[in-house]
Amino acid sequence: MSFLKSLCNLHIFIRFPLTSLDMYVGMMCTAKKCGIRFQPPAIILIYESEIKGKIRQRIMPVRNFSKFSDCTRAAEQLKNNPRHKSYLEQVSLRQLEKLFSFLRGYLSGQSLAETMEQIRQETTIDPEEDLNKLDDKELAKRKSIMDELFEKNQKKKDDPNFVYDIEVEFPQDDQLQSCGWDTESADEF
Amino acid sequence: MAEHRTKPSELDQGKCDADDNVKIICLGDSAVGKSKLMERFLMDGFQPQQLSTYALTLYKHTATVDGKTILVDFWDTAGQERFQSMHASYYHKAHACIMVFDVQRKVTYKNLSAWYTELREFRPEIPCLVVANKIDADINVTQKSFNFAKKFSLPLYFVSAADGTNVVKLFNDAIRLAVSYKQNSQDFMDEILQELENFNLEQEEEDVPDQEQSGSIETPSEEVASPHS
Repeated sequence: MSFLKSLCNLHIFIRFPLTSLDMYVGMMCTAKKCGIRFQPPAIILIYESEIKGKIRQRIMPVRNFSKFSDCTRAAEQLKNNPRHKSYLEQVSLRQLEKLFSFLRGYLSGQSLAETMEQIRQETTIDPEEDLNKLDDKELAKRKSIMDELFEKNQKKKDDPNFVYDIEVEFPQDDQLQSCGWDTESADEF
Repeated sequence: MAEHRTKPSELDQGKCDADDNVKIICLGDSAVGKSKLMERFLMDGFQPQQLSTYALTLYKHTATVDGKTILVDFWDTAGQERFQSMHASYYHKAHACIMVFDVQRKVTYKNLSAWYTELREFRPEIPCLVVANKIDADINVTQKSFNFAKKFSLPLYFVSAADGTNVVKLFNDAIRLAVSYKQNSQDFMDEILQELENFNLEQEEEDVPDQEQSGSIETPSEEVASPHS
């Protein structure tokens, strides 16, 4: 949520003049915050330049983006833009995608709350939803959301402390609290 | 009797006698992590055969149980579960079942009963292991009781395909149970099928249920299922 707060701040308060930061291209920088400005549309990066340890901002204008644009593609294009590439290395594609979603919501006249709700739906799993009923494309979307957590928790084979066979006992005795998914009646589980 | 079939692993299979081949099927809703579990168990050793025509993925694995080499065919659903039902050939001659739900999604737990009912229609006796997957997402679930497994006296495994908890144990137990089922099966249908095979009937006759819809699914367990050969 602090990200959203900073985002609103950016939108409402921050209007940076475009400064020439091109001299830093190719140099190391540490990204601090990344947000979006709606009018005129731009992705704004706040970062620390390694040379002077100074906090700077970079404004990357968003061009040719409408309410019909594809946020994933826009994010990819910005991330691969030769002028901005080195600055955006530490900013994930997913975050950029999300920022573009805010812009798209704004351009289609949605309130910030509506857009946030829409993004929440697109980036979280509804535990009640029956995924058996989805088509391939929708199912793939849900799977990619789940994959995020999977990858975060994944212990890979090349991790130094990887163990192939991990056995952990979780005793199932009568003292356990019910999972809450079982019905009371004896006929059902 | 299997000579007319060709497949890459036929030679390997020929080396082993009938007792050394088991079929283990995976069941459960979409996105509960069935394939991820398979891949975690097999690691680099897996070469899945995508049989997309039949919405089926086959993983072949070699295990050792009590000093004997066992060829294991793992059957994974590859999307067929979306019809909330599997084709009969999926269950055909399976020796064990790994039934998975996602601890994050209640609906996948509730659907276990439908999967279990269907399993028992086709395979009334085979061992079935219930798997609560994705415990890495919420470790507290391991402190809770899940009555489904208790009700049908099935073993319950808390696992995580992501961090690997209990995955290897699950599969090793499944293989062990499958082998012991195959050796000791009292199931009427199994006995009949074995008798039929002992008579060396024509493949066409023997495989009628398969050929209707999945004639060329490569199921090595069918070809070498006779324990007396």
